[in-house]
Amino acid sequence: MRRPLRFVVPALIAGAWLLAGCAEREPPVKPAPPSMRRLSNEQYRNTIADIFGPQIIIAGQADPLIRTDGLLAVGAATASITPSGLEKFYGLAKSIALQVVSAENRGGEFACRPENPTGPDDVCARQFFSRVGRLLYRRPLRPSELDLAVRSANQAATVRRDFYLGAAASLTNLLTTPQFLFIVEETEPDPEHPGRQRLTGDAKAAKLSYLLWNTTPNEALLDAAERGELNTASGLRRAVDRMMESPRLETGVRAFLDDFLRFDQFETLEKDSVIYPAFTVKVIEDAREEVLRTAVDLLLVRNGDYRDLFTNRRTFVTGSLARIYHIPVPRPSGGAWNAYEYPASDPHAGLIMQIGFAALASHPGRSSPTLRGRAIREELLCQKVPDPPGNVDFSKFEAADTLGKTARTRLTAHRTDPACAGCHKIMDPIGLGLENLDGVGQFRTTEFGERIDPSGDLDGHHFADAASLGQAIHDDPAATSCLVERLASYALGRRPADKPYLQYLDREFAADGYRVPGLMRRIALGPAFFAVGSTADPPRPVQTASLSAPHAESLETTP
Amino acid sequence: MTVLLKKPMHRRALLRGLLQGAAVTLPLPFLDCVLDERGEALAATGQELPIRFGTWYWGMGHTPGHAIREKRQTAPGIEFLEETQALAPYASQMNFFGGFGMPLDGRSNYTHHTGWVGSRTGFVPQSAADIPATTLDLIIADQIGTTTRFRSIDASSAGIPRENYSARSAESRGLAEISPVALYTRLFGPQFVDPNSSDFKPNPDIMMEKSVLSAFIDSSAAYAKTLGAADRQRMDEYFTSIRQLENQMARSLEKPAPCEACKLPERPAEPPAERLANVREIPNVIETHKVMAKLLAMAVACDQTRVFNMVFTDNFANVRRQGEANTHHLLTHMELIDPNLGYQPTAFWFNQRCSEALATYLETLSGIREGNGTLLDHSLIFASSETNYAKLHTIDGIPIYLIGKAGGRMKTGMHVVGGGDPISRVGLTAMRIMGVELRNWGAKSLQTSKPITDVMA
Amino acid sequence: MVVAAACLLLGGCGRVAPTAAPQTRTLGFVVRDWFTSVYDSKFADECPEGLTPSNDEIWWRSLPKPERARLTNNGLVQNLTRMPESMRRGPGGENVCLHPTVVHDPPMKTVEGKYGYGANLDGTLDGHATPKSCPHAKFTLPDGTPGIDNQMYRLLGCVYGWRKGGLPENNAHEGRGTSGLGMILIEVTGVTDPRNSKDVTVTFYRSVDQFALDGTGRPLPFSSYNVDIFPDGRQRYGDSLKGSIVNGVLTTVRGDVRLPFYGNYEFMHAPIRDMGLRLEIAPDGATAKGQITGYYNLAEFLYYEGGMVGHTSTADDCPALYVAGHELADGYPDPATGACTHLSTSFDVGAYAAFIVHPRDAGAGTRVAQARP
Repeated sequence: MRRPLRFVVPALIAGAWLLAGCAEREPPVKPAPPSMRRLSNEQYRNTIADIFGPQIIIAGQADPLIRTDGLLAVGAATASITPSGLEKFYGLAKSIALQVVSAENRGGEFACRPENPTGPDDVCARQFFSRVGRLLYRRPLRPSELDLAVRSANQAATVRRDFYLGAAASLTNLLTTPQFLFIVEETEPDPEHPGRQRLTGDAKAAKLSYLLWNTTPNEALLDAAERGELNTASGLRRAVDRMMESPRLETGVRAFLDDFLRFDQFETLEKDSVIYPAFTVKVIEDAREEVLRTAVDLLLVRNGDYRDLFTNRRTFVTGSLARIYHIPVPRPSGGAWNAYEYPASDPHAGLIMQIGFAALASHPGRSSPTLRGRAIREELLCQKVPDPPGNVDFSKFEAADTLGKTARTRLTAHRTDPACAGCHKIMDPIGLGLENLDGVGQFRTTEFGERIDPSGDLDGHHFADAASLGQAIHDDPAATSCLVERLASYALGRRPADKPYLQYLDREFAADGYRVPGLMRRIALGPAFFAVGSTADPPRPVQTASLSAPHAESLETTP
Repeated sequence: MTVLLKKPMHRRALLRGLLQGAAVTLPLPFLDCVLDERGEALAATGQELPIRFGTWYWGMGHTPGHAIREKRQTAPGIEFLEETQALAPYASQMNFFGGFGMPLDGRSNYTHHTGWVGSRTGFVPQSAADIPATTLDLIIADQIGTTTRFRSIDASSAGIPRENYSARSAESRGLAEISPVALYTRLFGPQFVDPNSSDFKPNPDIMMEKSVLSAFIDSSAAYAKTLGAADRQRMDEYFTSIRQLENQMARSLEKPAPCEACKLPERPAEPPAERLANVREIPNVIETHKVMAKLLAMAVACDQTRVFNMVFTDNFANVRRQGEANTHHLLTHMELIDPNLGYQPTAFWFNQRCSEALATYLETLSGIREGNGTLLDHSLIFASSETNYAKLHTIDGIPIYLIGKAGGRMKTGMHVVGGGDPISRVGLTAMRIMGVELRNWGAKSLQTSKPITDVMA
Repeated sequence: MVVAAACLLLGGCGRVAPTAAPQTRTLGFVVRDWFTSVYDSKFADECPEGLTPSNDEIWWRSLPKPERARLTNNGLVQNLTRMPESMRRGPGGENVCLHPTVVHDPPMKTVEGKYGYGANLDGTLDGHATPKSCPHAKFTLPDGTPGIDNQMYRLLGCVYGWRKGGLPENNAHEGRGTSGLGMILIEVTGVTDPRNSKDVTVTFYRSVDQFALDGTGRPLPFSSYNVDIFPDGRQRYGDSLKGSIVNGVLTTVRGDVRLPFYGNYEFMHAPIRDMGLRLEIAPDGATAKGQITGYYNLAEFLYYEGGMVGHTSTADDCPALYVAGHELADGYPDPATGACTHLSTSFDVGAYAAFIVHPRDAGAGTRVAQARP
């Protein structure tokens, strides 16, 4: 089992004290208006599990978020809910509510008992919704919200002749309201800056909790927030350190990595079963988990240098993965995880040689230097590759002798044709470094009988093979500044355009030995995290009748 | 002869003259005289069936010179070549549109994206992820879809839920249903009210649910007032969505008009694990499509929805044959052109499967008898792709078929030659046929106000 | 390229001592296919008198007509259903497969053809007696190589079920695949070059872990298998032979080896004398196929055959088999009686690359030695 982080935080604090004297101050950022971020499927699950218990079954999922500026977490800030999406949320809500009030569960949820279980009970309903509503909305319910919940429960209980079914009907709706489905940042006047607003304590609690644990703030954190503790530096530090000491930090780190590495692609990953019989559905699950376990082991458990992710030889594998890596494991069946360290003579090293990277950035039936090169550029180095042009003429690439050899030969035209080379030279030379790994990440030395040449160049840094490409990424400053940019964006819910802020974080990250928990802590404790600007204009009345989306009479959309 | 009884007309929509496509969700008193969608009195002999709108999508377009014989100008008669032979039996029930252009006004052609966005929204996207406006099916659904349980239904046999070509924007793009069993459950599961069952009683539990939901919607509306401007716009979408949910409940509380054509279909079997692990192998795609076609057709026949969208293969045609390294998409770029055949043989093979699947779809729709004809006769199907010649990513001459008789509002059998006109003319034509009275549609060079009257009755 | 776990040298691992010189490595295979090598011609020309009568037929023919009618309901009762009856035809009601000497059945029809698969075990070309073998006829390989010993084939080749596609072998094959019982592991240590190594050691183990199968039921190469050990850590198997690899073909010298065996719901410890392995390894190292030849213990074999349940489908006859087996045995005469006690045999073997995990490799760290080409 993973070792607790108890040693990490004191080290961080000690480090922080040591640096306090010569610490840089965080540059200010231009704050954004308060945001409204839709819960992701994972956050939804974690939230329900934490409020109502892990025994609640959540079958199904709703609309995915759109990846924006490299992260789904940023897309959450502009996500809305389609009719079919809402239908799904409602169905989930109903199922959850019925489970919550079921005979097995109600004892744990209701501190009170209705006087007469075959009808409404105002007092007990009020108690229940007051507690649960606060947890669901991440703040105490307003009187009108509580009244509505209780009134609806009473009405439903009367019709159904059952207190608990009545409560379920009301709870179903609470779970479908925007206050639950969106993490809404609410503000209050800032006593330290008259005329300006700051996030409420509850809003801060939510932001912290979803960053560090990827779940809803629990009662303790909400209590602390409502006592004003998150408004003081020491109170905030206490809360952050407590959360970072918890094993739940791993959930938060995993959620970030899952987003950062675009693991949502696993959901639609398929490989040809004839070409790759070893690549089963189990491999898909295990490959994702392997990367996350390896990264958590390096970044959290060992509090290691982020850059080592690209050169690290210690991993965790199941039997399904081991047979693709061609390594022995003592526990090959039952999905058991085996710790494994590649010996120095084995070519495997680092993230980009793991199945969870190499197979994801490939086609169903073969590898793809272009996809891999692009993934390295865009995901790991935060460098945008332009989209392919529409008017490519492929008729040049028809010579029969370009087929049947290694990818390097087949992609010659990519590199030499002027229309293609501009973009492909950004991607292909790097991706070709991974050609020793086939479409599912199995190691090979030849392709169609021709020896593979995995050497190349990453922006001036030569590499001989995939492992040394990993070293080249390790040494590239873009790798660490990319991680900083992504983690800051993930935390803030938007991509900060403020260079000084990102550069400051870069420098501190380096000074700190590129340790990720330290970076998370620095971001969470810094002023940018909770900074909030004013809303764009004063509120206007909302039209309650539904409207179709703006359509098309001579509308001009500006970018 | 039993026909689908007309639904009560919505007075608000009627009074507004059906412009603007505003969605009305409050039920209204039954009118004394029953009117059809255009406010015209029905023929004395009987009532009309509603006209339905469907879209069908396939990836990778056509192989030029081997799909539909080109013509110089619009004329009756569509000549199907080897790639589209499967559609020949439906020649008299469809129109083909070729030679329409997609002017980009300086924007890039985002491969496999610009083509479908332009033809279905009338706008050119600004990036490979942008969907700048609402797709035509939703514009139509906003108008004709308000009286049914679902405003529209999206299904896909391509195995990728996100690849749904019905959207209001990139952020507002529902997931397509990729599981036949889940689709069945949604359409015909516990929420289904059989229109032909004789013992309908409004379910008091649903009445209560709806009442509670309505109260919460009002409360949310008040809450939304407290939010910032940008967030309020997203709340608009939320309200659109939750009102539709409310509408679904309202529908299920009304006694539905009997539909002779409606027969509760059998629940499809759970696919074997083998198939679930290989959803995008082409035989599985074909099988899934067949099952879904039947479910969609029956859902329409049972008036659960009047707008229905089917994706056969996605815009990047991620489908493949077992044992082959390349997907359909990769084949279009990598396969050599056979010098004797004059085309890429395997890519061509996939295109043929697409034509066959469309034929299967049409066969399913025309297999349901309704009134004097078939479901296909009372529908308009807009079948399109995102490219013409996939190998070169061409977006000029993207093939579109308009199929069905739309209840007599569309003339069929025509091969319409665009002569470089904006392809949005086709979408506008479809909308006009469906009764959406837009003056013009689209933006910049794709903006058009001229429907193709050759096919309008 | 094929690699496997090297056995760590903490306290030894059975009889294997891969005290590797620098740069040697280990190859591993798990055997999936195990079929007795039979030479079948389409019209059974090798059985000029036809296939041997089955137990059921002999029983049936031995009954007077009224008994036949009574016991089989005028012939309507299926062979399978009447098998218990037909087996218990000993004078005292004994099951004749368990007590094959209590009745005298007509002699078995055995193979009289020229061709057969296998190896030359006794070193002669004409099968004359040697200190370790009894006189017997020889076969020729289809490619013309003479002097092949395969008395097992001679014994079984005209039994319906033992011909290609017959029940006992296929049922056993299926059973091994799904149950994971009787899986043979072949470990090759001291390998300097996987395609050419002069001096290697080949050791045979039994696996504890089951096959990992792909979608079509074939084992997935490069899976890991733990070897079977006694509670005190000793190997249950672990016999070795020296050998060499030449152009990807592994050949061993001959020696006595005990192999795990499971088939048709029976376990055996199949001791094979003068056993030799020949294995052709595919260039990618993922699969291998070949033969195991040697002298199979007759008593073990008869025990296995007698204990099978599929006699109806196999269409054998135990009493006749018993007699013929003893007549045809050609290996290792009993010092007291002079009668040979073993049958020369050949098995067709198909295997998949495997990592063979020894118990001392399991545990903390799993730092297992391995190199790649």
